[in-house]
Amino acid sequence: MRAAHLLLASTLSVGALAYVAGAPAPPVAAASQVTTPREKDSVRFAIIGDTGTGTSSQYQVGEQLTMARQMFPFEFVIMLGDNIYGSERPQDFVTKFEKPYKALLDAKVPFYAALGNHDDPTQRYYKPFNMNGERYYTFSKGAARFFVLDSNYMDQAQLKWLEEQLSRATDRWKIAYFHHPLYSSGEKHGSEIDLRTQVEPLFMKYGVDVVFAGHEHFYERIKPQNGIYYFIEGGSAKLRKGDIRKGALTAAGFDTDFTFMLAELGKDAMQFQVLSRNGKPIDSGSLPLAEEPKKAAETKPSSR
Amino acid sequence: MMRTLLVLGLMVFSIGVAAQQKAPVNPVAQEMVDYHKRIDAYMKVRDEATKNLPDQKETGDPAKISAREKALGQAIAKARVAAKPGDVFGEEMSIYLKKALAEDWKSRSPADRKALFEELPKGLKLGVNQTYPTTLPLVSVPARLLARLPMLPETLEYRLIDRYFLLRDRDANLIVDVLTDVYPTRDR
Repeated sequence: MRAAHLLLASTLSVGALAYVAGAPAPPVAAASQVTTPREKDSVRFAIIGDTGTGTSSQYQVGEQLTMARQMFPFEFVIMLGDNIYGSERPQDFVTKFEKPYKALLDAKVPFYAALGNHDDPTQRYYKPFNMNGERYYTFSKGAARFFVLDSNYMDQAQLKWLEEQLSRATDRWKIAYFHHPLYSSGEKHGSEIDLRTQVEPLFMKYGVDVVFAGHEHFYERIKPQNGIYYFIEGGSAKLRKGDIRKGALTAAGFDTDFTFMLAELGKDAMQFQVLSRNGKPIDSGSLPLAEEPKKAAETKPSSR
Repeated sequence: MMRTLLVLGLMVFSIGVAAQQKAPVNPVAQEMVDYHKRIDAYMKVRDEATKNLPDQKETGDPAKISAREKALGQAIAKARVAAKPGDVFGEEMSIYLKKALAEDWKSRSPADRKALFEELPKGLKLGVNQTYPTTLPLVSVPARLLARLPMLPETLEYRLIDRYFLLRDRDANLIVDVLTDVYPTRDR
């Protein structure tokens, strides 16, 4: 039996800070700040979003990712969309993806991309993004199944596919990720309520545990909604300083420097840690795995 | 008795004839059927025009992806050189789509409306057989709106940009059809 997520607001253990405002910290070595994995057979991965700028900040996050992997050997990286900003000439794929993450690509670390609103859907044919030529797709790693959606175009065909895939998934962890956040405290964009009405009922019905999104150029951990953990990591190369309007949704937020996430899916909990491009710890915690599918209206969803 | 039965029989027959003469025709349903026929016709032209191009496979070389996208677009545009706005949407469907878009627009908050134009320049000039501007973001089509629109094959998609509603060939990055002035300028 899977226990409801509702207790987690009071039971989860979260480190670092609840909300940070101010100037970024001076550079520190990432390796000393990263927490090592807790379990032997866990699923370990990194999360980056809104990356494809080709700017120095993207390269700095890339370097920190490489350093962090020495302490936290993640197996793969998920990309939350806006993988290539602006022009998508062949050289853009080099300067906005291959070079910033060269060390990881050389180490054969696979990347699994979702499409953002700045991405041409033909990116799904770009082999290093591992999308198998599909706008939306699923893959499994250990005890986890990932559902990668195209939130730019949530048509009926995709919704039908999502329900079919979720209904047949028996994995311990169900993780969904896509570009547009269902919940957000960002002033610029805010929550994607339209999208939420379409996909969240499916997430609840079939027990999705964690949802990652980008689009907002900051990091935010949302207070659990309807038993689901929501994260925004859209600040891995773009930053919208001071955009978070801390409110009822925000469990933690950081909008003053570039960030990336590391996650570990264990037997009973997900460990996560968030680091800045300088290696400074921003947020961390342990989120217990739910033991039963979510029920509608357990918690009234917040909206902006 | 015989006479009564005859009268009743005639009445039933008359009602049947009347029902046949006024067989209920749902004009929207009929237009949907016609619309899908026009979509199928586009797909036939597309398939014929691109049959000699290699299938797109995953590749680590983005140059191959962009070259194929360009070749697809050129082949389709050449095969539809006389295409003009409304050829695929059709007159009746254009009315239906504009109505659906207007109703959706009315239902949205000012913030929602603003999001539809985010990061886009004003005053774009777009037309059939043009490529979608490659450096501009693709505006997300609201999921609630998509649920109201007729479904398309995976090759095609609806897109909103500026005041245009587009039918776009996804892999060719080509504008297949266009509806103009779908949103009011004053609300931007």
